[in-house]
Amino acid sequence: MIEQEREKWYEDQASKFGIPIPYLKRAYEKELSGEIPMDAPLEVPDKMDIYFKYSYGGQSRFFRELRENKRIYGAKCPECGKVYCPPRSHCHNCYRETEWIPLEGTGAIVAYTVQYQTTSAFIKKTPFICAYVKLDGSDFLMMTNMEVDDVSKICVGTRVRAVFRDVRHGTITDFYFRAVE
Amino acid sequence: MRNVAIVGIGTTKFKVRWADKTYFELAYEAAKLAMEDAGIGKDRIDCAVYGIYNDFFQRQYQPDAFVHDYLGLGLKPMVRVNSGGATGGSALRIGYAEVASGLYDVCLVLGVEKCADCFNYESGVATPEVLRAILYTADMTYDNPAGRTAASGFALAVLAHREKYGNPTEEQMAKVSVKNHLNATKNPIAQSPMILTVDDVMKSRKIVEPFKFYDNCLYTEGSSAVILASEKVARQITDKPVWISGVGASTDYVMPGNRPNIYTFEASRIAAKKAYEMAGIKNPLLELDLAELHDAFTGTEIMAYEDCFFCEEGQGGRLIDEGVVMPDGKLPVNLSGGLIGCGHAVGATGIMQTYEVALHLRGEAGERQQKNARRGLVQSIGGTLCTWTVCLVLEREG
Repeated sequence: MIEQEREKWYEDQASKFGIPIPYLKRAYEKELSGEIPMDAPLEVPDKMDIYFKYSYGGQSRFFRELRENKRIYGAKCPECGKVYCPPRSHCHNCYRETEWIPLEGTGAIVAYTVQYQTTSAFIKKTPFICAYVKLDGSDFLMMTNMEVDDVSKICVGTRVRAVFRDVRHGTITDFYFRAVE
Repeated sequence: MRNVAIVGIGTTKFKVRWADKTYFELAYEAAKLAMEDAGIGKDRIDCAVYGIYNDFFQRQYQPDAFVHDYLGLGLKPMVRVNSGGATGGSALRIGYAEVASGLYDVCLVLGVEKCADCFNYESGVATPEVLRAILYTADMTYDNPAGRTAASGFALAVLAHREKYGNPTEEQMAKVSVKNHLNATKNPIAQSPMILTVDDVMKSRKIVEPFKFYDNCLYTEGSSAVILASEKVARQITDKPVWISGVGASTDYVMPGNRPNIYTFEASRIAAKKAYEMAGIKNPLLELDLAELHDAFTGTEIMAYEDCFFCEEGQGGRLIDEGVVMPDGKLPVNLSGGLIGCGHAVGATGIMQTYEVALHLRGEAGERQQKNARRGLVQSIGGTLCTWTVCLVLEREG
């Protein structure tokens, strides 16, 4: 490729895939230099994505309560009395429809770990805590990540409470857990 | 049910990157080797089962159809299996059922996986994007937004196990890493042959508490295949059949918060128990000659000793301390190097493990050959905190 063609290639790929040009140059400079043998493996950028207008189905109220009322709801089985949070529309033991009940938003850490390596989407947040929390009034565990100032103060059994974000989108990340002093 | 034999085996090398082959070209290599090993052509294959895990890794939905096309098996029936890390084991289980049921006489079971075509442009390496592709298998509504990884899920289980039983310790985990990397030095297909010390492992960088860099398997590209046949056909084709004498499987709640506890892998215990019952094994530590266990992480290999009933619950750490699972121990574990030493080409992994055990039972494992190997175990695990487990018992004649 001549210089002008190369620059155009970078611009095209940057706009098509949303990859900054310096990153593209780092990844493809050698390939586009013309020094690569014709039979060598050829790598090109690509991306797979799909837009959604996703329905929460029977769990819709849970997310609307988060967004509108800053409240966490559990789903209670009318037969066995077990309370699910994350909620389920049906009890997986009794096969009955569950009923909504409000929870306090407090609970305790059942298991936790500290993540130093993670996915592209979360890499700027490391290190962070990933934990299973049992909310008071729930019989099951919720997976969560936690913002903590001092990791050494966290242990199994640490009491936590949900803190709601100022701007909420109707997703599970509308709240996060903080250790209770 | 009819008896089912492995009559052909083949695998590519397990490598971090096969830039010179696509997933279907990799599959071709493994299929060709397995057919050559069995001494049959593709016309003798009646059906196929493909183990392919992540569509993002292949950059292709329904990649099985393209493998089938590339292998020239058009118009023969096939099905694709996906159960996370246990995909290879599950493919074998379905292939076994195809032949045992009498539906088909010869079944190709092939696993293949790319991954490093995923790429994180910002950091200039594949891993963070590979992890992102995997995270689409976590519950999208509640778990995916927490940013956890496959490693952090298993880390939670290992820490919960340690909280309850006091092990595995950092040092016990490091010993598993040293063993598996060292075993890999004798395996010509292995991705990570290394001579490490316990200290090297313990001082390597942290990935997720309690796992350091060398406590984890790496992502791998590769393909492995076996050809299964009914007893009648096996007798015509080969004089060294390896019999599948036990198959056990279990799938746990994928939302671990819905399980009674997270310090043990109940799916693994049930899968092992079922496989042993079918094979007539009462004391696996005495009756097995080798085992290939799913050591995606050192700590989970130690948990697997317990889940496969090599010891009492909570006693796993002792087996590595006492050398029971070393190559010269009572029951060598992961002579191939396992996922940590040989690699984890997800859909192919369970089939690579089966390839390894079959090699030993045929006496063809070269310098890592386990003496007089008669019977071996394969354990294949997948999903969030061990959702799927498949166990297979393999045996030779005599």
